[in-house]
Amino acid sequence: MQVKINAKDLASGIFLVLVALVGIYLNQDHNLGSARRMGPGYMPLMVFYIQAGLGGLVILFSLFSGPDPMEKWTGMDVGSMVLGIVAGTLAWKISPSLWSFFGQTYNAVGVGIAVGFLVMAVSAGWKVLAIISAAVALFGLILEKGGFFAALTAVILVSCLADPSYTKKGAVGVLVFLLVLSWWVFIDQLDIRVNLWPQS
Amino acid sequence: MELLLSNLAHGFGVALSLQNISFALLGALVGTAIGVLPGIGPVATISLLLPITFGLPATTAIIMLAGIYYGAQYGGSTTAILLNLPGEVSSVVTTLEGYKMARNGRAGAALATAALGSFFAGSVATILVAASGPLLTQVALSFGPADYFSLMLLGLIIACVLAQGSVIKAVGMVVLGVALGLVGTDVQTGQQRFTFGIPELSDGIGFVPIAMGMFGIAEIILNLERPESRSVLSTKVGSLWLTKEEFRRATPSVLRGTVLGSFLGILPGGGASLAAFGSYMMERKMSKGRHLFGTGAIEGVAGPEAANNAAAQTSFIPLLTLGIPSNAVMALMVGALIIQGIQPGPRMVEAQPDLFWGLIASMWIGNLMLLVINLPMIGMWVKLLQVPYRYLYPSILVFCCIGVYSLNNNVFDVYMTVLFTVFGYMCSKLKLEPAPLLIGFVLGPMMEEHLRRAMLLSRGDWGVFIQRPISATMLGIATVALCLMLLPNIRKGKDKALAE
Repeated sequence: MQVKINAKDLASGIFLVLVALVGIYLNQDHNLGSARRMGPGYMPLMVFYIQAGLGGLVILFSLFSGPDPMEKWTGMDVGSMVLGIVAGTLAWKISPSLWSFFGQTYNAVGVGIAVGFLVMAVSAGWKVLAIISAAVALFGLILEKGGFFAALTAVILVSCLADPSYTKKGAVGVLVFLLVLSWWVFIDQLDIRVNLWPQS
Repeated sequence: MELLLSNLAHGFGVALSLQNISFALLGALVGTAIGVLPGIGPVATISLLLPITFGLPATTAIIMLAGIYYGAQYGGSTTAILLNLPGEVSSVVTTLEGYKMARNGRAGAALATAALGSFFAGSVATILVAASGPLLTQVALSFGPADYFSLMLLGLIIACVLAQGSVIKAVGMVVLGVALGLVGTDVQTGQQRFTFGIPELSDGIGFVPIAMGMFGIAEIILNLERPESRSVLSTKVGSLWLTKEEFRRATPSVLRGTVLGSFLGILPGGGASLAAFGSYMMERKMSKGRHLFGTGAIEGVAGPEAANNAAAQTSFIPLLTLGIPSNAVMALMVGALIIQGIQPGPRMVEAQPDLFWGLIASMWIGNLMLLVINLPMIGMWVKLLQVPYRYLYPSILVFCCIGVYSLNNNVFDVYMTVLFTVFGYMCSKLKLEPAPLLIGFVLGPMMEEHLRRAMLLSRGDWGVFIQRPISATMLGIATVALCLMLLPNIRKGKDKALAE
């Protein structure tokens, strides 16, 4: 018999149900109140029940609306994702003890995201997603300490790696053009409050 | 009538100020540019430019953002006709006949038809917005909290019903959006909900990180994963003038497209792309030139192009009169207004006459500008297409990063954007539509407030939603719409219509 499971819908349904269950669990802290005087927990509980119900329906229909298989994951994809998550979590937890700067505000989170995604970027399936996400995280990490220009340089050069057709000359050209453009738009015209150069 | 004219005069006074007119022009230019470029749409662009608008007065900001939206409808047709490549979803159907016309050496005529048809439709729809705004506002002022709740529910449901793909999954995304909207401080008790002790979340999840992550950056990743296929222009544009025969054939199509588009634009979940599809189907069945379809029929360009622009204008009606966004772009407009400290809703027409009438006047001015921007300057836009995507995406990324950071000068928002980028990427792999989520996220907190108020007034009686005639009607329509979509035959028809 032909497989009729719609894997994409099945995963979507499971995702919706899982989020709803987590929501219901977290919502236990909130006072429900009564229908007349709704407490902070009333609406969330309703929303999550509905969401769980819908997720269940999606799962049910997915069993015979397929086949719509997911994209194939290679061993490399799975391995690099697991490694990436482990490396990211470790970096997040350990980095503050390496340099006190990483302990401030959300910098450790930024280190974790950047490290995790850079590890994932090894496998071809994640390459674009991982490089672009890491580039954005690096921007957040560098901006306040390294300044506007350093952060932009990082995000531009790293994101250029996502497209294999880039030449060195092309990347440098884009870098210079965008540095000048962003300076003109955001600093000269809009005057946003941010350090331009590295802070000691 | 006299009042309408004096209001419009006031609006033109506002819209013609140097600042407003230059930002309308800027919006129209940016809109045309992103319309021409495939791979970046109005939702991403508007969320990208949202932070830039903070420093501007509210009216100027909305005028510019609106210009981007309807400007994109003009720009999208250019690439559709010349390169068989839709710049926007709403110009997909224009490729069918428009590109054939270009192959027949009538590219200029097709472009002129698209621009003139859009201008006509835009002008009519603008008048419609002006006339219906105050009327609907009067109706809306008699709405109680229960009616509002039901109206928003109806809006959400119709948005799902008209969304592409599975209706249940779309409803699921709406509900997920509402759930995300719950994060933050409960307005009535001050209790923190789902914030995990993170102070940045006490005001709720930021609107801009969600929009930029899911529509801006996730879109870049998906575009990069697809191999680029952009042929260099080989067709000649030719004369922009229409022959008498062409003009005679295009006129009724433009009229039909305008009417259909104006109507579909008002519907929640409607908007420009649905209008263009609808009009194409209609022209293929009804127009005198239907036997010519497939060989470059001008009706197939005139109708959809008029319809998508009319819908782009009229989709502002629910936003401006009821405060309810009908599509993802309008949800962004709500976000922009709220950031500016303006609560969208029926009181906006009276409380913010400059904004309401100024926006309407600017729409007409913007349409006129677009006519000039698009027709004589067509060569410039075609040149823009020769810029490869690899030079574009770093710019989008840079603008996203700086924009998100400058919201609150906090890197937390940057990391939230990464989170929603990954989530948006996952959604597209699972065929979950991001637009319903955004609408749910914007409407969720308002719905909770109205629900609580309605239940307080009714002393805890749920019957209030069916006892009040307005509310009952809304819920009735929502139920019917939902049931219709669950019938397999109609669903197949919709999928077919949206897929073509």
